[in-house]
Amino acid sequence: MKFIDPHHDRWHTIVGEDGPMVTLSPAPYSLLTLLQWHAVRSRWPVDMPVGVAIGNADEIEDLKPDLPRIALVALNFPKWVDGRAYSQARLLRARFRFTGEVRATGEVLVDMMPLLQRTGFDAVVLRSDQDLETARRALTFFPGHYQGDVQDNRPPFNREAA
Amino acid sequence: MYQYTSFDAQFVKQRAAQYRDQLERNLAGKLGDEEFRPLRLQNGWYVQRHAPMLRVAVPYGELNSRQIRALARIAREFDRGYAHLTTRQNVQFNWIPLNRSADVMDVLADVGMHGIQTSGNCIRNTTSDCFAGVAPDEIVDPRPYCELLRQWSTLHPEFAFLPRKFKIAVSGALEDRSAIAWHDIGLQLLKNEAGEVGFKVLVGGGMGRTPVIGTVIREFLPWHQILVFIEAIVRVYNRHGRRDNMYKARIKILVKAEGPRFIQDVEEEFLAILNHDVDGDAHLIPQSELDRVSASFVLPEGVAPIESDFEVADDAPVAYKRWLERNVHGHKIAGHRAVTLSLKRLGQAPGDATDEQMERAADLADRYSHGELRVSHDQNLVLPWVRESDLFALWQAARDAGYASPNIGLLTDMINCPGGDFCALANARSIPIAQAISERFDDLDELYDIGDIDLHMSGCINSCGHHHSAHIGILGVDKDGKEWYQVSLGGSDGSRISGDAVPGKVIGPSFAADEVPDVIEAVIETYRGQRAANELFIDTVRRIGLDSFKAAANAARRSTAKAS
Repeated sequence: MKFIDPHHDRWHTIVGEDGPMVTLSPAPYSLLTLLQWHAVRSRWPVDMPVGVAIGNADEIEDLKPDLPRIALVALNFPKWVDGRAYSQARLLRARFRFTGEVRATGEVLVDMMPLLQRTGFDAVVLRSDQDLETARRALTFFPGHYQGDVQDNRPPFNREAA
Repeated sequence: MYQYTSFDAQFVKQRAAQYRDQLERNLAGKLGDEEFRPLRLQNGWYVQRHAPMLRVAVPYGELNSRQIRALARIAREFDRGYAHLTTRQNVQFNWIPLNRSADVMDVLADVGMHGIQTSGNCIRNTTSDCFAGVAPDEIVDPRPYCELLRQWSTLHPEFAFLPRKFKIAVSGALEDRSAIAWHDIGLQLLKNEAGEVGFKVLVGGGMGRTPVIGTVIREFLPWHQILVFIEAIVRVYNRHGRRDNMYKARIKILVKAEGPRFIQDVEEEFLAILNHDVDGDAHLIPQSELDRVSASFVLPEGVAPIESDFEVADDAPVAYKRWLERNVHGHKIAGHRAVTLSLKRLGQAPGDATDEQMERAADLADRYSHGELRVSHDQNLVLPWVRESDLFALWQAARDAGYASPNIGLLTDMINCPGGDFCALANARSIPIAQAISERFDDLDELYDIGDIDLHMSGCINSCGHHHSAHIGILGVDKDGKEWYQVSLGGSDGSRISGDAVPGKVIGPSFAADEVPDVIEAVIETYRGQRAANELFIDTVRRIGLDSFKAAANAARRSTAKAS
């Protein structure tokens, strides 16, 4: 799991005075909203790294055709007890075979770490008051699980057969 | 019952260690109360009126004597000497200080118990038939499937923060003793014409403010697909269930709002998992895994059919005969019976047991039931493996332990939530009302004359006491800071005598607490006056309608007479 320090993050959002800007020029490591991406996708250079931030209510399926061009998908936790992004992450990995970075943003707390890791997140921006050591420790409690997940697709009972 | 593997045992211990880490951070001020709350809830710790409440998971209601002794010890050493059995077959404590909660989790983990997912907006402990594996009318033993569901749903990483709580019930018999149609997912095991095992799948049932009966989404789902199909249902719910309004967040609201589209979404998701996901077949259950789990549910050693020569002597005590009639149930192994230990008796709240009583139940289980007990949906204990030849001795021992009220299925065998005496959510108390009704109907002849009847009471609209599914339902409501009680008639949990699941109908404005016993008596007297020969209460209500019951209930009003 990669812990992102927001002060040393090469990815940047494109925000104007009235929120996300719709007219923008492609620049490397832009983290765009879905709306912004749709506005520029046809003219985004092939090798220029781009990230897209998806809202909980957005249909992750809409991004599927573009995923090979996208380096990072940021999923949001508006409240930490809102679990929709776990399903989105799981679909990105298990269904759409997305291999780029899946980043958790919003209200991300240390106790979410095992769930994030197991549903396919590989990077997090912790809420600023969260303790990094506790987050790392939260990942150590369980040596194994009953069901398959994005890290290990098969549950114990189907591992031998794999 | 299921035998923990070293993995299971280690897993529960690690869960206790994880909880201790979270509690210590909370007590040290590093984890705020608001953020600790969902974490402790998913371990069974509520904060109640007087102290935290702990809900201990009893997976599909199965307990062994060692476990109930540990519960007795917790009641004695950490609580005030008693525990409460719930309609979802779990066990609750009411007086444990939060700073001792991690110690209690360790005591539980030592006997393979925990509070995992007994609360919170996650997949809750799966419930089932308290006679699973012993019922003569069983089609398929539901316990191996319940255990597979327990394992799959335990700490599922994607479904820990659903819009709202999510409850699954499984029945494997002709008679539905689990009220499956009232659950978020209800599963009925059955066999098709080829003799293959599968599930009828219902979705979107629930109580609360909006009582809804589950919709059949599959008439026959092959058993080995069950985890994938449930994953599809829960994923559609997690993504699309409402999160803007807690009262509209249960899956029943999504199912109602979307109608056939919901079913289509689930079927598409199901196919997408199988056809498109990486290792999409990974959660299809192989026969070998079912066999492995089923090996825990073979007959206890020494249980085998014995020739049944059970007879009751003419001069046997009347109380014993009554107990045989009400508390002793058929069994699929000849020469055996299942026996209910009644937790409905005067002087104790329905479903409550003291530490001493729990110890005695453990003794009875060891002596007469191969160390095994069940918690019933009706808040009683069941001994599933009793020899007919032991019945008289068991009756005497059960009587001495305060467990032999011969009232199973009768009016005083009522379902009851803890209510306003304990619960922070409750609008009104339920225990004193239950007590008053039990006192009013303490004549056994009268109870027997009234016959089979379901009386359920909830202290608030959250409906933990299942008032919607009762023949007579009582709901505590709060008006102007005072306790009032709404009475409904004609509900059904889906059992054979009650008919298809349906919510009861309210019979007018609510009653004052002291009117309730009179109202119940008036309703019962109306039934006795109007019933046909051998007609059960619920059948009379259905035949004659509510009017005469309403009139009788209104005539019993005193303080509310002016208001109404």
